[in-house]
Amino acid sequence: MAEKVSLTELQLIIRDSLYLALPDIYWVIAEISELTENNAGHCYLELIEKHQDEKNVRARVKAIIWSNRYRFLKAFFENITGESLREGLKILVKAKVEYHELYGLSLIISDIDPAFTVGEMAMKRQLIIKKLEQDGVFSMNKELTFPAVPQRIAVISSKSAAGYSDFVNHLKGNSFGYVFYTSLIETSLQGTETELSVITALDKIALNSHLFDLVVIIRGGGSQSDLSWFDSYNIAYHVTQFPLPVITGIGHDKDVSVTDMVANRSLKTPTAVADFLIDTFADAENHIIEMSSLITVASLIIIEKNKNRIEASSIKLFPLARIMMSGIKDKLSSEIIEIISIGKELIIRAGLIPANLESRLSSAMKSLTSGKDLVLKRNRERLIADTINCLNSKKVMLKSLENSSQHLNPENILRRGFSITSINGKILKNFEEIKNDDMIDTQLYRGTLKSKVVKIKGR
Amino acid sequence: MAKKEFSFNSAVVEIENILHNIESGDLDIDKLSVEVKRASELIKECQKKLRLTEEEINSIFKDLA
Repeated sequence: MAEKVSLTELQLIIRDSLYLALPDIYWVIAEISELTENNAGHCYLELIEKHQDEKNVRARVKAIIWSNRYRFLKAFFENITGESLREGLKILVKAKVEYHELYGLSLIISDIDPAFTVGEMAMKRQLIIKKLEQDGVFSMNKELTFPAVPQRIAVISSKSAAGYSDFVNHLKGNSFGYVFYTSLIETSLQGTETELSVITALDKIALNSHLFDLVVIIRGGGSQSDLSWFDSYNIAYHVTQFPLPVITGIGHDKDVSVTDMVANRSLKTPTAVADFLIDTFADAENHIIEMSSLITVASLIIIEKNKNRIEASSIKLFPLARIMMSGIKDKLSSEIIEIISIGKELIIRAGLIPANLESRLSSAMKSLTSGKDLVLKRNRERLIADTINCLNSKKVMLKSLENSSQHLNPENILRRGFSITSINGKILKNFEEIKNDDMIDTQLYRGTLKSKVVKIKGR
Repeated sequence: MAKKEFSFNSAVVEIENILHNIESGDLDIDKLSVEVKRASELIKECQKKLRLTEEEINSIFKDLA
């Protein structure tokens, strides 16, 4: 029978044997399956290695990082990887095997290689990207037309997140006075529940997609926000399939997640997302203002053209009327003379006609000539009145045109800081109309500039 | 929704068409006044869309939350 030993003695034998048999250190590749920090600042981990199926565990060991090392390693790891040490991460650690008679076997970790984790995460990300590309969905959300006025916004975030209030305050406090509508879908954006939570939120928005113009996914930045939760095939896939454009502002200054990559647009912070939306509004408004000023200018040109035409016509019309009237007058006068001479001849021929007949004839003749005079006068008045009416109605029409173009008031546009540039009195709209050393005039709200062209950049 | 929804996009397209017509230069002066009036209405609507709060949307959004 073998020698009898106490349990303590056995444990000590094991400890000593291990101590003698094993080298001082190993670099160990493992995945963190559990991690807790105690009050003293020590870090207790459970490390595992999985089978290739990524489900079953084939090896497991306890590990410890003592607080004096942990304080340093934690910050070092986060600084390099942008991730905190947490479950699910693959790590490469420098460890010594220790055996304690009370606590058994554990690895005492003294160093960690963050570059390994960065590489692992990049590889995992590459696999997801490849799968999305193979599925033919990678750029589907990017291909959606971005709305000119992204006004009704579904926000995937958390009320308590600093990023959320930053976003809403920035958006709604915009200096232009633009109106935005936001609807928060309360979502957890950190930890193992991230994937399910984001997908549930997206599904909820999809049910009401007609109410929204776009979706934003935002959360505050900082080192505690691990980006790799968004390196998820399922979240990314849902984003690619989403019927509305998705913008991310997940708050990471070093790297982008797969979700960022497949989103319609990805910005670093929630504030940047708000700025982008405000800028989109401003672009839309500027486009309208620009068009309204172009309409004003083009309308004024047409009005001016027509004014000139009417003036030219009226200048021609007056002498024409005079010529016409004098023609009519001449014709009437000659008719009167003819009538008088005919009358005289008749009187002479009819020597036998009694005196009263003669006087009747002369009075009839007088009334006839005065009738003709009246017609002449009336014609002349009517002609003048018609001409004046015609001119007046054209004037009224011009006035109303000028009034309606006042809605577009070019001065207002100039006051906003726009200016009208012209060359030789011609409004300049195209860089091809000018060449170097040309003198151009710029009309500002107040005053005009005369400048020389030194450089032309085409578009 | 009884009220026909105002579409910023289609308004912009319409304004662009009007601008194109006017810029072509040979627009009849009687038509010009109609076109300018329409453009100014559309521009006003667009500005309103950017800056005026529609309570209807606010209340729908409140119900969703």
